[in-house]
Amino acid sequence: MTAADAPPQPQPEPPVIGEEPRRRLHPLSPLLHGAKSIAVIVAALSWQTLSQVGLERFALVVAVLAVAVVIFSVIGWLNTGYHVVGRELRIQDGLLWRRNRAIPLDRLQAVELRRPLLAQLTGLAELRLEVVGGGKTEAPLAYLTVREAGALRQRLLALAGRTPGTAELPGTGPAPGLERPLFRVSNRDLLISQLLTPQAFFLPVGVAFVVMQTVLEGSWTFVGIASTVTAMAGVLLQPVRRVLQDWDFRLARDPGGRLAVRYGLLETRSQIVPLNRVQTIGVTWPLLWRVQGWLHLRLDIAGYAGPQSGDAKRSDRLLPVGAFESGRFLVQEVLPGVDLAALPTVQPPPRARWLHPFTLRTIGVGLTPEVFVSRSGLLTREMTLVPYARLQSVRVVQGPVQRLLGLASVYADTAGGRSGVAEDRDVAEAWWLAEQLSIRARQARAVTSPSGLTAAPTALAEPAGPAGRAEPAGDGHGRAGSEPLS
Amino acid sequence: MTEPSGSLSGATTGPADALEPWPDTVQWQPVSRSLITVELISRAIWVVVILGGLGAGWAFHRHWAWPAAMAAVAVLAIWRSIVTVRAVKAWGYAERDNDLLVRHGLVVRRLSIVPYARMQFVDVTAGPLERAFHLATVQLHTAAAASDAKIPGLPPEEAARLRDRLTALGQDRAEGL
Repeated sequence: MTAADAPPQPQPEPPVIGEEPRRRLHPLSPLLHGAKSIAVIVAALSWQTLSQVGLERFALVVAVLAVAVVIFSVIGWLNTGYHVVGRELRIQDGLLWRRNRAIPLDRLQAVELRRPLLAQLTGLAELRLEVVGGGKTEAPLAYLTVREAGALRQRLLALAGRTPGTAELPGTGPAPGLERPLFRVSNRDLLISQLLTPQAFFLPVGVAFVVMQTVLEGSWTFVGIASTVTAMAGVLLQPVRRVLQDWDFRLARDPGGRLAVRYGLLETRSQIVPLNRVQTIGVTWPLLWRVQGWLHLRLDIAGYAGPQSGDAKRSDRLLPVGAFESGRFLVQEVLPGVDLAALPTVQPPPRARWLHPFTLRTIGVGLTPEVFVSRSGLLTREMTLVPYARLQSVRVVQGPVQRLLGLASVYADTAGGRSGVAEDRDVAEAWWLAEQLSIRARQARAVTSPSGLTAAPTALAEPAGPAGRAEPAGDGHGRAGSEPLS
Repeated sequence: MTEPSGSLSGATTGPADALEPWPDTVQWQPVSRSLITVELISRAIWVVVILGGLGAGWAFHRHWAWPAAMAAVAVLAIWRSIVTVRAVKAWGYAERDNDLLVRHGLVVRRLSIVPYARMQFVDVTAGPLERAFHLATVQLHTAAAASDAKIPGLPPEEAARLRDRLTALGQDRAEGL
């Protein structure tokens, strides 16, 4: 804990190529890591162990392990350093296996500043860089002081941008006044929206179950109840976690036109995403939110792993909850020219009913000048928007049943982990779609500049036969519980 | 396996083959027939191992389930082997001006269209068995994990040619993300 190596040095500006001294993380980092691992250790030891060894021994084991972790963290901290060299961020870390990583900044997808509760108390922050490749966040710099993290982020983003000549003043901090606020989600809406989830409905049932068990059997031990409650909490407290995570959700445009997302109560996150890094946008209309006409917007960025990673870890919200108009406004901000209310889709041919007895009417795809739209889901309606410029590959897949029916599915893969899917189209139409997708992707790539619109034809795939009516995507107007700023 | 259909505009229906799109513009290249042998041998090794394990189980514990399982494995292996012969013939790839097409699969048929511009890296692999039969596998990776462009059963020269061509084209049209 000697602050001999005081990290926050004024950095040399402008970004010239040259050696700069390796900097250390904040001296408090090992302690914070240790504190975090206590929770992990306790969770790993579980209630079962507690009942077997008794409270004192348990505490002793935890304490010993925690001290060991802190000692290891201190050694790790001594070995960890970072510095910017040219257009690269170099990070050295590792205890036994030393690692030297160079992160090319022009490949930067998004930068996130996270402040868990303990870090908030100590005025520290964790800087996470998202680059493509690998399922997890590369190079979390934990922890730096907030000022330092903010300055480093600005600097990295300035370096990452195509024009490095923006004279960034040192120490402007993470929230410069030049940002244009876009949107804010009211906390009341957030609370209501999370009460309108299946888990929230089951919570009273679960509590009643535990109480009943305790009353009826009478012989339940403290440990038994505790483990039941813990197990239930994991599932049932998800809405609570969501509320804590998405608390005070704010969106803004930073001076460079990037999207700045800030949210969180116990752990605040502040994420900056360049708009041309947005791979897909997912729109969800959960069943229980339809009363309010609310929707949820999801942002896929290449750095964040696909659906397999835990919900809590991902930072992919564009709008945790909002009325249709707000969603429409935000989609237009992120994907210029895309109007959520005017995304016509076409159903699969009627014979696909064999595969989708109930949901046929809810499935559909559409091609607009900018995005590939696919939609599905009866109870929870979902829609995926894939900009052509972000398309990675196109796949056509035909299973045995589909072959009998003369159908095929088309997948539009993106680096975001989720694909736009045109399920069960007529085979000829599937080929047409696949070809259109690759042509439009090529045109969009050729334009390249983020603001450029492709000159692709607006016409929708209108295949042979009664392909079904085109219908507008949205629910029409929802009550404006939260409204766009400015 | 019907006749390929005509128009691509989506304006006509008709029996379109899932593996034969755009028949007039795409030159499909088959993969080497030696791949059949490789696949059969590697399957045979697996089958022998599994049958050996089941046989050992039977020796220790006399129960009708063991020979039944062995029979099932044998039947499955024979069926898969018959399918393999056709499946290898179904593999194919085509290099177009801007993208690589790869098709494969019999039961579930798949076709991938991967633009060269999206290529992140190319893998050329050859296992011991493949090497013994002078084969190699080329796999094109994009930033999307779902992309599925793998071409097995290529002669090494062809694999090297394809790799070089892909990387050259990828550099020309580079952008990646």
